[in-house]
Amino acid sequence: MTAPLVRGEGLTRAFHRRGGLFGRGVPMMALRGVDIELHRGEAVGVVGESGCGKSTLGRLLLRLMTPTSGRVMFEDRDLATISAAELRALRRRMQMVFQDPYGSLDPRRVIGAQIADGMVIHGLAQGTTVQDRVAALLRQVGLDPGHAQRLPHEFSGGQRQRIAVARALATQPDFIVADEPVSALDVSIQAQVVNLLADLRGELGLALVFISHDLHVVRHLCDRVVVMYLGLVMEEGPAAEIFRAPAHPYARALLAATPSLRHRGAAASPLAGEVPSIAKPPSGCVFRTRCPMAQPACAQSVPALRLLPGDATRRIACHRAEEIAA
Amino acid sequence: MRRAAYRGLILPGVLAAIIVLLAIAAPIMPLIDPVRQDIAHRLTGPSAQHWLGQDEYGRDVLSRIIWGARVSLSVAFSAAAAAALIGTLLGILGGYFRGVVELLTVRAAEIVLCFPPLLLALLVVTLLGPGAGTLIFSLSILFAPGFARVAYAETLSTRALDYVTAQHALGARTRRILALTVLPNIATPLIVQFSLTVAAAMLLESGLSFLGLGVVPPAPSWGLMIRGARGAMEQAPLLLFWPCLALTGTVLVLNLLCDRLRDALDPRGRAMGRPGFLGRVFALPPVPSPPAPGLLSVQGLTLQVPGPNGPIEVVRGVSLSLAPGETLAIVGESGSGKTLTGLAVMGLLPAAVTPVAGSIMLTGQDGMPRDLLRLPEPELRALRGRDMAMIFQDPSSSLNPLLRIGTQVAESLRAHGTHDGVHDRVVALLRQVGLPDPERAAMAYPHELSGGQRQRVMIAAAIANHPRLLLADEPTTALDVTVQAQILALLQALKEAEGGMGMVFVTHNLAVVAEIADRVAVMYAGEVVEEGPADEVLAAPRHPYTAALIASTPEGEAERLSAIPGAVPQPWAMPPGCRFAPRCAMAQPACTVTAPALEEVAPRRAARCLRWRELA
Ligand SMILES: Nc1ncnc2c1ncn2[C@@H]1O[C@H](COP(=O)(O)OP(=O)(O)OP(=O)(O)O)[C@@H](O)[C@H]1O
Ligand code: SF4
Ligand code: SF4
Ligand SMILES: [Mg+2]
Repeated sequence: MTAPLVRGEGLTRAFHRRGGLFGRGVPMMALRGVDIELHRGEAVGVVGESGCGKSTLGRLLLRLMTPTSGRVMFEDRDLATISAAELRALRRRMQMVFQDPYGSLDPRRVIGAQIADGMVIHGLAQGTTVQDRVAALLRQVGLDPGHAQRLPHEFSGGQRQRIAVARALATQPDFIVADEPVSALDVSIQAQVVNLLADLRGELGLALVFISHDLHVVRHLCDRVVVMYLGLVMEEGPAAEIFRAPAHPYARALLAATPSLRHRGAAASPLAGEVPSIAKPPSGCVFRTRCPMAQPACAQSVPALRLLPGDATRRIACHRAEEIAA
Repeated sequence: MRRAAYRGLILPGVLAAIIVLLAIAAPIMPLIDPVRQDIAHRLTGPSAQHWLGQDEYGRDVLSRIIWGARVSLSVAFSAAAAAALIGTLLGILGGYFRGVVELLTVRAAEIVLCFPPLLLALLVVTLLGPGAGTLIFSLSILFAPGFARVAYAETLSTRALDYVTAQHALGARTRRILALTVLPNIATPLIVQFSLTVAAAMLLESGLSFLGLGVVPPAPSWGLMIRGARGAMEQAPLLLFWPCLALTGTVLVLNLLCDRLRDALDPRGRAMGRPGFLGRVFALPPVPSPPAPGLLSVQGLTLQVPGPNGPIEVVRGVSLSLAPGETLAIVGESGSGKTLTGLAVMGLLPAAVTPVAGSIMLTGQDGMPRDLLRLPEPELRALRGRDMAMIFQDPSSSLNPLLRIGTQVAESLRAHGTHDGVHDRVVALLRQVGLPDPERAAMAYPHELSGGQRQRVMIAAAIANHPRLLLADEPTTALDVTVQAQILALLQALKEAEGGMGMVFVTHNLAVVAEIADRVAVMYAGEVVEEGPADEVLAAPRHPYTAALIASTPEGEAERLSAIPGAVPQPWAMPPGCRFAPRCAMAQPACTVTAPALEEVAPRRAARCLRWRELA
């Protein structure tokens, strides 16, 4: 196998609640040592409930945020050690699509100018070529090139998300992080954007990190899935496998709780309790307070992420992996 | 709305322009020299030559007022502009970089705010000596912190927005982000602050000149004029009146301009009050004979909002029915009118929305059917919380953060006449909705609970009086998947426990419909397009929109999702004929002409499509 395009190693990130004038308060561990790899043209889905660190992971990978410890390698360069100028230049190759199509576009600038920003910043095109590129990009995401001079509020949510995708594509990146890009959209529009992302990935060979809480969408778009809980990876492996037969108790619960058109009964035996606060995570396995399989030993030590016995493609973090595999 | 806001700008705008023009044009106007003395005619009243009379040195008052405006305005504008420049820069830098920079800029500026303004100005002027230059300098120091604060607060909230992060992700330099993205988006409050500051600076300038610390005589200034006139108050009281009038008038005009500017620049426009009961009833035609309801029966409900070109029907001819013990899901995309339909049932429509046709019959706890649309507010209020109750999408904004959970649940009991054993009942309710340790939860404040727990509290308050009808507007949309499953299970269990309670569940998620609903009403662009038993509708839809929605749900093994092309039409630009026609794969020319009616397609099942038979 070739070397990965992007590699996160032991990514950890703490946030400090502002406590008083001088105190820094309790550190909250949003991410607690996550490894992730992404190859060219690969789509990896990151799923989990709110506060599990999905968005933090995405922002660390793009270095929109610095990790508390761990490092991000882009090709063979460590994003923490390269110079500011090098990093700025590298930004051409990595882009982001945000969740809120209303918040991610500047309400006061016409969309053509916003799509062109990346090209102008990186000096990729000048004068009329910029206009031509903008028109081509608008066409590529299925919008009318004649609308470049309009303001964001003249577009619907789905159209805005397409504009945001066009802006991300403008610099011809190799790597895109999409943070819940369809969560704010209506079902009928959601399908349009998911299809667009799938097409673009095929055409341009983009590497995609797709963050979502909607398992069905992830299954559709991604080759691999990372299931996270309280800042840690619980299970990781091929999407098809995990959706067919999730191994980790949390992955199972998550999948079972997702309502489905095809079979009723998601609400039949829901998981008890709620996600604990990241300021006070449980000792040992972070999932143990809600895990139907928890044992006293689960409170003693944090289970490492390791290969699922008998399956060379999947890794889970559970003390009882052997029993699960059996 | 916007246009009205801009029209409001005309009056103060024109007045301010006149004042400024007069001040600018002073040198070219045929005015008597403002410093030419004429001691012989000191303190004479108005005459043909001196319209406003002459002052204590016989100088022309009108001329001095106009020249004084020049001095006052230029000092005030220069000071405000300098303050704006310095303050905004400090505020933006502090807000964007936080940390040490914030300490050095905004916090330092705030120290200035701790001094009484007049005292500070006095200090500076005493140190540097009077004169226009000193005035501008001291006034800009005084007013800069105000700008710094506004710019700081706005930058803080703007910099967290995705479009700023997006610029960063594109590799833009900080300079570019601040100038091109942050500054234009924080400009509105700064402009308002600017006009306020000009007015305040004029007042302070006059005050200082009055004290003899501002403009140096004999140069004309309103403050100096007031000072001079004070000495001659007994003999010529009018002398005091003119500069005071000029000063108050100008400050008032500037304040008005600032108010109107805020209205015009605020995209939300101004809020309106709620229409009274009479306004509501007059808009409604009488209904001949309301059909006999099961529990709830909505017939032909039409809701309007005012638009720029006449009223817009945001909900049109909606009919629904619900039997006791049933769950009806209203499903549809954003803006389809689901929420408004639910609010109409509760009698909680926003002010701008008026019902213009239809009826909403609810059978209450006493077995009496009532038309909720035509019920006076006091009677509606009595029904709310007792016969019908509602839970909302966002549990944190529906709970009062200052009151204990138990108090808030008790409130809904007390409001409907329960006064004995309230505490025990509250604890029992909290236990019933599955809060761990209900005794302690009753004493907790909302912020101590998680989102899912808060939603449980809302449900406890809603079912406190055993309502006949429970309305839930997207109650699980803000929750995590595993918590959503818990709340759905809870609602299901409650419905069984509260024998006969009907539930209307508003959602945009078809999978949730499949999970919880007995019946479903699919809404599109303000209309119900299909209604019937949930199982049947989801298994064999009789409307192309329902079919397309099901197909676009990302489940199953299909390689590509089937998306519905286009977008929901805007309420003011509804297509003629069938509202779904522009996006419908089955549309025919007839569809763009005739608006289909909601037809019965099977017992207790209806669809609004000309071609439903072909889908069967
Ligand atoms: N207070 C109001 N003033 C004017 N128009 C309104 C008001 N409230 C709602 N509308 C309009 O009425 C229509 C239906 O709104 P409604 O809130 O019922 O939609 P919805 O189906 O609940 O959508 P969502 O899924 O976004 O909650 C929309 O076009 C909306 O813009
Ligand atoms: S380690 Fe224990 S608590 Fe954690 S998932 Fe495995 S069985 Fe459950
Ligand atoms: S009436 Fe025509 S356009 Fe409307 S849903 Fe039916 S087939 Fe489609
Ligand atoms: Mg709504």
